Order: sequence, then structure tokens, then C-alpha cells
Amino acid sequence: MNATVADQLVAEYLARLDAALSDLPAARREELLEQVSEHIATARAELGDQAGEAEIRTMLDRLGDPAAIAAEAGQRPAESLESSQPRPGWREVAALILLPVGGIVIPVVGWFVGVALLWSSEHWSVRSKLLGTLVVPGGLALPLSLGMFAGSAEYCSTPPTLVGGASPDSVCTGGPSGWLEVLGPVAFVLLLLAPIATVIYLGLQLRHRPRTAPAMP
Amino acid sequence: MALLAQLRRGTLEYCVLALLDGGERYGLDLVRRLGQVEGMMTSEGTVYPLLSRLRRDGLVATTWRESPSGPPRRYYHLTPGGRQALDAFAREWASFRDAVDYFLDAGGDHDERHRR
Repeated sequence: MNATVADQLVAEYLARLDAALSDLPAARREELLEQVSEHIATARAELGDQAGEAEIRTMLDRLGDPAAIAAEAGQRPAESLESSQPRPGWREVAALILLPVGGIVIPVVGWFVGVALLWSSEHWSVRSKLLGTLVVPGGLALPLSLGMFAGSAEYCSTPPTLVGGASPDSVCTGGPSGWLEVLGPVAFVLLLLAPIATVIYLGLQLRHRPRTAPAMP
Repeated sequence: MALLAQLRRGTLEYCVLALLDGGERYGLDLVRRLGQVEGMMTSEGTVYPLLSRLRRDGLVATTWRESPSGPPRRYYHLTPGGRQALDAFAREWASFRDAVDYFLDAGGDHDERHRR
């Protein structure tokens, strides 16, 4: 019974903190939420299952106002205010270019460089970074190389209709099976669109991030 | 209070580095130890932005460790750069503190008449 009230108090606190941190780059917001969540979880483990609502409230009070934590996170002695609130720069732009087409320009390596840039940026959350990495590994190079692969086999089904049965048997032996003929083009288009959609999504995230500098006290 | 906040701003991070000089600590432990001394921080939560800033600046590093009770903990430890920064601050601080003390104490010596 206590657990649910306590869980609710903690959830409310973390939600308020998340909202207060909305001006920070995603990676920094995530780190702070993780740190504070760990603080709470460790403190609750120390308190034990018997911890009452009052003890949880005291623990959260000691953590302090989420706005104060956000203010501390946002403010920085002038010299590194810029580095703590970086604007998207060459790193982000290069990542967005290399992820889809890097693998075409320099096979395999180009895409990996894009992934490295993606993960070293502070502008995307871990979730977005995973998305950018996994959809689609290799970027456009994957569907294009698959397309060339399948394309060479696909020709075999067209000559009979064009040529009108000139030498159908010899051409069609290496042809794709029936399901591949149907699903192949669909999968090809999906694999082509997915990396583009991902890059658009990652790009929009850069744009939507609030750029307002925190007020200095 | 504003005065205390000013003094704290430049020094709290070195108190954190000093706490880690003896060995690695996890967040709650570190925060509690800072809280044992009155006036070192405004609230426990405000130490975490400081810790992540120190990590970004390469003065501390973190490792994950399973704990006997509760969830895995993030342990903070000094990097060689952090130790250097701490040593440099400790030297500067000693001479700065002496300088301030000198004026605070010497003021009385020069101007005893005004004190009466």
C-alpha cells in the first residue's frame, strides 16, 4: 500500500524534473534523470520496504526543487556556457549526411564514421541514437547493394515477355522464387525509405530543441 | 545567503574532487557527505549537475557497479586530470585563504581605536 503512494510521489518528482530540464540537450537531460533516479532508488533501498510516505517525502525534499537542479544544470560560469548549450554543428550535419550515404561513398567505413559522430553528439537521446544506428545499418548502401544483387537476378523474368519466348528456359533458371518477386520490391522500397525517414526524424529533433539560454541569477 | 552562494559557486566542485581523493564513491554517498557540513550545498539534487559537468570536463569518470542492495550504482572517481586540478586548487586556496585571513585579522591590529 505504501509502495504505491511512494511510487507515485517518486514518479511525480521525476516528471517535474524532466519538465524542468526540457531546455537541456537530450543526452544531458537523460544523464541527470538517471543520476537522480539512482539516488532515489538507492535511498529507498536503504529505507527498506517499511518506508512510509513521510520518509519518502523527506527524501525528496532533501533532493530539492527540480527547478533548482535545472538551474544548476543550465548555469555555468560564463566561460563554458557555450559548451554546455552547444548548437548543432558540423558533427551533427556530418552524421546526418554520412549515416544514409556514407556507406555508398566509402563502403562500410563511411557509415561507421556516421555512427561514431551520431553517438558522440550531445544533441540526441540514446533512443534516437539507437534508432539512427539500427534503421538501417549501412544506410542507403544496404538496399542499393541488395537491389543490385536482386536486380541481376530479376532480369531473367522480363526477357520472356519482351523477347516473346526466344530463349525462356535458359534465362529463367537463376530467377527469384515467387514470393521474392512480390516482396522484393516492397522490401527494397522500405529499406530505401527507412534511412531517409530516420535522417529526417533526427534532423527535426535538432530543430525542435529549444535554444533558449537559461536565465543567469 | 547570496554571499554564501557566491563563495560556494567556485569551491563546491573542489570539495567534491577532494571527497573523491580518498577513493571512488557513489552518488548518494557523495551527496550525503557534502550534506554533513552546513552550508556546502543548497539541496542534494544540485550536486548531480555538478557531477556531470565534472565528468564532461574530464575531471571525474564513472563506472557501474552492482550493489549488495538496491539497483546498480554509478561510482565516481578522480581522473589524473581531476587530481591535478585538485592539487592546483589546494595550493591556490591555501594562499588565498591566508591572504583573506591576513586582511580580516590585520584590520583589527591597525585600527584598534575603532573597535572600542
